[in-house]
Amino acid sequence: MLFLQLLLGGLQTGALYALTACGFALIFGATKVFHFAHGASFTLAGYLFLLMWNNGYPAWLGVLAAILVATGFGVAMERFVYRPIQRHEGGFFTVFVAAFGVSLVVQNLVGMWAGRGFVVADSTLSRATEVLPEVFLAPVFWVSLAVAAVLFLALGLFLTRHPAGVALRALAQNSDLIRAYGLSSHRLSLLAFALGSALAAPAAVLTAITTGMNEAVGHHVMLISMAATIVGGVGSLKGAALAGLSLGVAESVVLNFADPQWAEAASFVVLFGFILFRPSGLFGHAVAR
Amino acid sequence: MTAYLANLATLAAIFGILAATLNVAVGYAGIFSVAHAVFFGLGAYAGAQLALLLVPDALLAMLVAALVAGGLSLCLALPALRVRGEYFVAASLGLQMMATTLFTEAKGLTGGMGGLVGIPRPMVLGFEVPTLALALAALVLILLATWLMARGSFGRTLRAIRDAESAAEALGKNINAAKALAVAFACAGAGVAGALFALHMSFVNVESFTLDQSVLVMAMVIVGGTGTLWGPLLGAVLLLSLPAGLSFLPFIPPTEIGAVQQIIYGAAMTLLMIFRPAGLLGDMRTGRKA
Repeated sequence: MLFLQLLLGGLQTGALYALTACGFALIFGATKVFHFAHGASFTLAGYLFLLMWNNGYPAWLGVLAAILVATGFGVAMERFVYRPIQRHEGGFFTVFVAAFGVSLVVQNLVGMWAGRGFVVADSTLSRATEVLPEVFLAPVFWVSLAVAAVLFLALGLFLTRHPAGVALRALAQNSDLIRAYGLSSHRLSLLAFALGSALAAPAAVLTAITTGMNEAVGHHVMLISMAATIVGGVGSLKGAALAGLSLGVAESVVLNFADPQWAEAASFVVLFGFILFRPSGLFGHAVAR
Repeated sequence: MTAYLANLATLAAIFGILAATLNVAVGYAGIFSVAHAVFFGLGAYAGAQLALLLVPDALLAMLVAALVAGGLSLCLALPALRVRGEYFVAASLGLQMMATTLFTEAKGLTGGMGGLVGIPRPMVLGFEVPTLALALAALVLILLATWLMARGSFGRTLRAIRDAESAAEALGKNINAAKALAVAFACAGAGVAGALFALHMSFVNVESFTLDQSVLVMAMVIVGGTGTLWGPLLGAVLLLSLPAGLSFLPFIPPTEIGAVQQIIYGAAMTLLMIFRPAGLLGDMRTGRKA
């Protein structure tokens, strides 16, 4: 029964990982920017929600604020950090270092302002009940799965049916051709950043309700999103989501066989193996060496 | 006060070695490793165990540390030969996270969180010597080696690989060997720095070899200027004196110094990348492509 309990817990974590990873993959696929500050969007959204929740604001307002701050942060990063760097032909490492710098600043500012260590938004949603003998589930489990499913459905519809979504996929495939068709790749990049960062917000809110946040959580989330994007195959949102889900499940199920400190290392062994032996990931196209 | 300054100078020399060797990988070969602290740690554990179990000979400790770190640099060289760019950064991040767990869990070799304590003072040929002298000597030798290498044909090959890998390959350069050698040199140097660190502190634990440390060393290289001889050294001195300088400012509570330091160098990294990507001492023309 412990195994089932771990599996269900893993599914919940995995659904949230899938959301953030999908946001990261959307940004990376469309704009080719390795948005290493994606975890900072997550941290900011989670902490803003916590602040509003603890001050007695209604939950929907907190969620809205979380989505707004994540989106705003992503758009600001594209507008004020990545765009200027790309204007003077900065390589990927320049982008990576700049993003890493921002995430360090956000992590430490949040730590100084909100204190270090775990904080949880206390809610009835996270109160677990026994559904099967020795298996406990909280309503937030169903909420997480439902939110992830609805958002993936909506994202899929947007990318295939809406003109802007189709344009985003075109940007991912050939950014020069986008300009030839008279579309602005800058505006589309902003859209990619807005959408991708917004996807991190619901995951951050749900994490704040269940396991809680600490100031370094963005780091972990970022590494998982990156691992999921690469394992899933760059350019494939489905791959990133699936890999995020499996990483969450694996991280939890591994507890059945090993001590908890190996959980994170297990994800990175998988990542390392994929990079060595199958760099194009599960669903990706072959990449140039 | 002299003891305080000597301690700071020793640490500056040790981190100078770390930054200078990482610069060989990042600045010359274009291998963007965020796992330098792993090899720093391997060297520190190797040097410490040697001093604890056999003889506290500093030269032997540095040699063994260089061999261990240089040998295991294969873990970093393999992905460097397979993939480039974002993928390699991801692979080195993965390596760093795995190594941190291993360092914490392999208690027999590393002492885990408790670390290795009571590492004896360094000796050379039976005489006790201050680590400052050893560290400065090692730093000078490594800078000299880097300078000679950068001027020679090997340095040109590395820069050619960094700027245009296919062109270098077309000219008949053995890219795999050059990359592996650059990584091995960088990691062996980090190992030497690790052995010196262990002998200097006479205590090591996993907290000195985490991702934060790798990022700190990377920040030193970048702030100073990638691909320059003196840039990484300047970066090491600047970033190390930052916490010391901050502790003299009365309005920052002592518990927040670490956070303020990280905010300052995080912001410095971002602003430098936007306005001066080549670093403080870097050449603007070459830095743009890095």
